[in-house]
Amino acid sequence: MKHTSLRYSLLTYKLDQLWFPVCFWALFVIIVVLMQQQHNQLMNSTRAYLGAVVPLIGGIMAAYAVLDDPALELRFATPIPAWWTLLERLGLTFLIQAATACAFQVVALLLGGDFSMFLSGWHVQLAWILPTLALMALGSLGALVAAQTTIGALFVGLVWIVELIARGWLARNNGKYVLVFMGALMPEHPDLLANHLTLVAISAAFLLAAWALLRRQERYI
Amino acid sequence: MITTTSLTKTYSSGAKAVHALNGIDLDIGMGMFGLLGPNGAGKTTLMRILAGIVNASGGSVHIAGHDVTTEAGKQAVKAMLGYLPQELGMYPELTAAQFVDYMAILKGLDDAKKRRQSVAKVLELVGLSEAAGRKIKGFSGGMKRRVGIAQALVNDPKLLIVDEPTAGLDPEERIRFRNLLVNLASDRTVLLSTHIVEDIGQTCRDVAVLARGQVLFRGSPTELTQAAAGHVWTLTAAGLEKPNHGLTIVSMLHLAEGTQYRLVGETADGHPAAQAVPPGLEDGYVWLMKSAGQSVEAL
Repeated sequence: MKHTSLRYSLLTYKLDQLWFPVCFWALFVIIVVLMQQQHNQLMNSTRAYLGAVVPLIGGIMAAYAVLDDPALELRFATPIPAWWTLLERLGLTFLIQAATACAFQVVALLLGGDFSMFLSGWHVQLAWILPTLALMALGSLGALVAAQTTIGALFVGLVWIVELIARGWLARNNGKYVLVFMGALMPEHPDLLANHLTLVAISAAFLLAAWALLRRQERYI
Repeated sequence: MITTTSLTKTYSSGAKAVHALNGIDLDIGMGMFGLLGPNGAGKTTLMRILAGIVNASGGSVHIAGHDVTTEAGKQAVKAMLGYLPQELGMYPELTAAQFVDYMAILKGLDDAKKRRQSVAKVLELVGLSEAAGRKIKGFSGGMKRRVGIAQALVNDPKLLIVDEPTAGLDPEERIRFRNLLVNLASDRTVLLSTHIVEDIGQTCRDVAVLARGQVLFRGSPTELTQAAAGHVWTLTAAGLEKPNHGLTIVSMLHLAEGTQYRLVGETADGHPAAQAVPPGLEDGYVWLMKSAGQSVEAL
């Protein structure tokens, strides 16, 4: 049975949630265009955008993705399983982040950006995919735990800012496993693989918890 | 079609437990069934449990043989359900046709051609064919309700649950809506929840009255009306003082000779001028509530 339509998923998406990532994308494009003569600055901005800004926006959007729905009670009365709702809403959010991240890489390459500090092209992609998934899972879980979208966004913002400020200290201690920015900002870190695996495990655990919570529909109407 | 046995629902509100439903036993068959009660009686909670959205705290619910307290049972019931909630949220940027089409997809209607036919059919049924291409944000309250019933019907449900569907509608819309529900009830179960007594009297042959989470009455509207026989009076008084002696004022009408009151109560002995009159459905409801010690302010 078909339970989704990308066209309607986009049509029912609130416009501000589409403008939000697009505006940040445009802002960082302007920054890197202005910095194209300074290679280090160009790549620092590119890595910051991919590894920190895209995940932050993804996390905040994920907090609103499921519960910020005017027809939520109608949706709950249909035979759609909770995991499908989660997949549809978070999948669309992730697709939007993926589009902005890929488009930004193209811009950076056209401006002469050099991604050789990453082990491979695959590592460049992991540098934004894994933190984006982790913060999206955190955002959706936070919103579902509190049954409030704003709380989910606050969780994401709090973790993001704490990790950004304490990233050096975290990288030298056991915090290195949960440092979401490691792939982009410290691609040469010896524990990068362990960090990636931990982020995948955390994302999976958060999404499972979010799924279990979303099955208790009465909390959200 | 629907059987509930000792159904309970308790919400925790801080340290306090709120008993929304206290042992509901109901058997509901095909046709139109009315659920009447004051605000806070537990009607919406019962509707949501039947729709598989809210979990019961105790007791059992079976719909067309499916146990709604299990996940599999809920999914099976949702597949045959049309639901119109009290607070109807929609996507204002979608047109009526798009909204109903989207809800049809969510309900699993995957054949595009059949879905388009179903959407056109239900929009015609609710009289919105001409407005199908207009965005919902420009619709009146009545038109939105009609879109709501169209989305509820798009999967041709065997069970239709409508919660306070006529709230906020003008008289013409209400009549139109009631007639539509009666037509739909010819080949399915339609569960109508309302606190507007008149809606039940005009549409249902079977009714339950809920108060404080319990079924106070189960029977026909005629039986509910007759429950107040001998307990309804009219009294015309010239003074400003309202009649009391334990009587409830159902209605007031200002006339040239004074104010005419319609009263319901145990006895009108305290008002010798009061004249006994045949009861109406609203009188029956007020008498029932009064007998049960319920406030009738919600009327």
